[in-house]
Amino acid sequence: MIFKCQNCGGNVVYSPEKGAMYCPHCEGIDSHQKMEGSSEEACPNCGAPVEIGQFVSASKCEHCGNYIVFDKRIEGMYEPNLILPFKIGKEKAKEILKKEFKKKAFTPAGFLSDAALDKMEGTYVPFWLYDYMANYTFDGEGTKVRTWRRGNTEYTETSFYHIVRDMDIDFDKIPVDASVGMDDQIMDLMEPYDYTILEKFQDKYMSGFMGEVFNEPSGKLEPRAKEKAKNDSEALLKESMSAYSSIRTHHKNLDLNKNGLSYALFPVWVYTYSYHNEKYPFYINGQTGKVVGKTPLSVQKLMGYGATVFAACFTMLTLLKMVLEVL
Amino acid sequence: MKEYFHYFRYLFLALGVVAVLSVVLLITNQPEKAGERTNTECTTEERVFDYADVLTAEEEDQLREQIAERESQIGADIVIVTLNESLKEYARSYDPDVTYDKFTMIYADNFYDEHKFGYNKPIGDGILLLDNIYREDDGSVYTWLCTTGKVENRYSNAMIDNILDEFYVYVDTNPYRAYSDFVDNVYYDMADNGSNITLPLYIPFVWSLIVTVVFIVVNLTNRKGKKTTNQRSYVNGGQPRMRRREDTFIRKSVTSRTIETSSSSGGSGGGGHHTSSSGASHGGGGHSR
Repeated sequence: MIFKCQNCGGNVVYSPEKGAMYCPHCEGIDSHQKMEGSSEEACPNCGAPVEIGQFVSASKCEHCGNYIVFDKRIEGMYEPNLILPFKIGKEKAKEILKKEFKKKAFTPAGFLSDAALDKMEGTYVPFWLYDYMANYTFDGEGTKVRTWRRGNTEYTETSFYHIVRDMDIDFDKIPVDASVGMDDQIMDLMEPYDYTILEKFQDKYMSGFMGEVFNEPSGKLEPRAKEKAKNDSEALLKESMSAYSSIRTHHKNLDLNKNGLSYALFPVWVYTYSYHNEKYPFYINGQTGKVVGKTPLSVQKLMGYGATVFAACFTMLTLLKMVLEVL
Repeated sequence: MKEYFHYFRYLFLALGVVAVLSVVLLITNQPEKAGERTNTECTTEERVFDYADVLTAEEEDQLREQIAERESQIGADIVIVTLNESLKEYARSYDPDVTYDKFTMIYADNFYDEHKFGYNKPIGDGILLLDNIYREDDGSVYTWLCTTGKVENRYSNAMIDNILDEFYVYVDTNPYRAYSDFVDNVYYDMADNGSNITLPLYIPFVWSLIVTVVFIVVNLTNRKGKKTTNQRSYVNGGQPRMRRREDTFIRKSVTSRTIETSSSSGGSGGGGHHTSSSGASHGGGGHSR
């Protein structure tokens, strides 16, 4: 499908800044009209052939620049339950990147040039969200240590306690990214997303962005969610016993019961910079603005800047030395 | 290039400020020429009293010329006295208990005071070297360096030892050279006006290297990103619901140990100046050979 402007016929996109559908051609707000088109081979606007990858659900026609949402990939089993619409637009994302890496001295000259940044695209990344009701029981022994001094003697008192814990933990929407192309570790670093503005899925939010369907079924990815739930439960148990200086476990048991699953699309800006035949991807959380990515290193710049710092310091210190010796 | 200058603008600014300040300070703190001699009560124009006749007339003239030039540069009188006579009786007449090594001190101090040497005022800034080549009956030849006023303040015991050591290198073989070197050494010691900080050359180098390494390391630290979720991020209500929470005290044990304490004490040092028979303060020190 394509969102057309009723006023001018242009391609209407979702504008994060305005929080509404926006026509960049006539600046109309919410002037969109859905133009259904079920083809996955041709652009519904200009008819040019489009090549879409296996998991792509939204893309941009290379020929006419219109943003296309592929109906069949947001229907049926592929229909997301929830969506977090982009809150950060392209200009804001560019600004965030520039600010984040402004102080990185050794990045290559063109790293944050506008020309390169313009190629940045917003993508809706598929996530599985798992709900768990966890029960954690613990039985063990803990010690508390107290020391004090009287005269020349230091006393150490060790108190022993019997510890019992039985707690329910209600895990809500633990996210696991369902895109093979996105690095798991990086997607974990993108978290957290603010769930309070999570919305029921609406296709209009996808206009203007790239999109993917889940690459892998929820069952296959569940171990990652369970792992997260387990680690968090462990940390919460530990936290409840933080008053003790040492703990011995007699018995403990964690039960995890899945009680909910949803399929959601989360917004991520992706900027890929190529340098010396290597790709450096940067990801910006489309909702919170958090940046994840490793900057490329320009050895030439490192040498030049290092030499400058050295020369300047050496000159200043030598002058200072001369002044100190004369005064 | 624009980016480069923008990035280093503060560094370059600091460099410029330091450079300008240094140049200004170096220019304004040029070893300044001493003012005119203001002592009008000095009883003599003579500076070289070669009573022992170790120098030729020509050498004395050269020495006088050299002294005259150095005096105006450092603003202090430089007096040279050679003797060839026992000072035992002379010194004991002032102080019956004086030891052999102090005979020359008494003579030198009195000589200085009687002639009212001093660049700025009578018995003021100046230095007097007395070498008595007469071998006293204890078998030694004694030399004394008498310092007064700002010269007294400038010369530490170590510096006195130093300059006399150098004087002794040629005193027997080439007296003229010994005295000439002495006059120059006085000038160098006085011109090097006491701050006495001489930093080794490698210090700026090493520090610059450290700063550079820190700069590079700081800028190389390249983390992908920090984890910003915690164990409560996905917990409804932010907290687990406690069904049971018990912390029952069972028993306790107490152990004790004795703490050893120690104490320490410091030492002390000293040094000093003296007052001559006429009441003027002099510094100084002697050597013998």
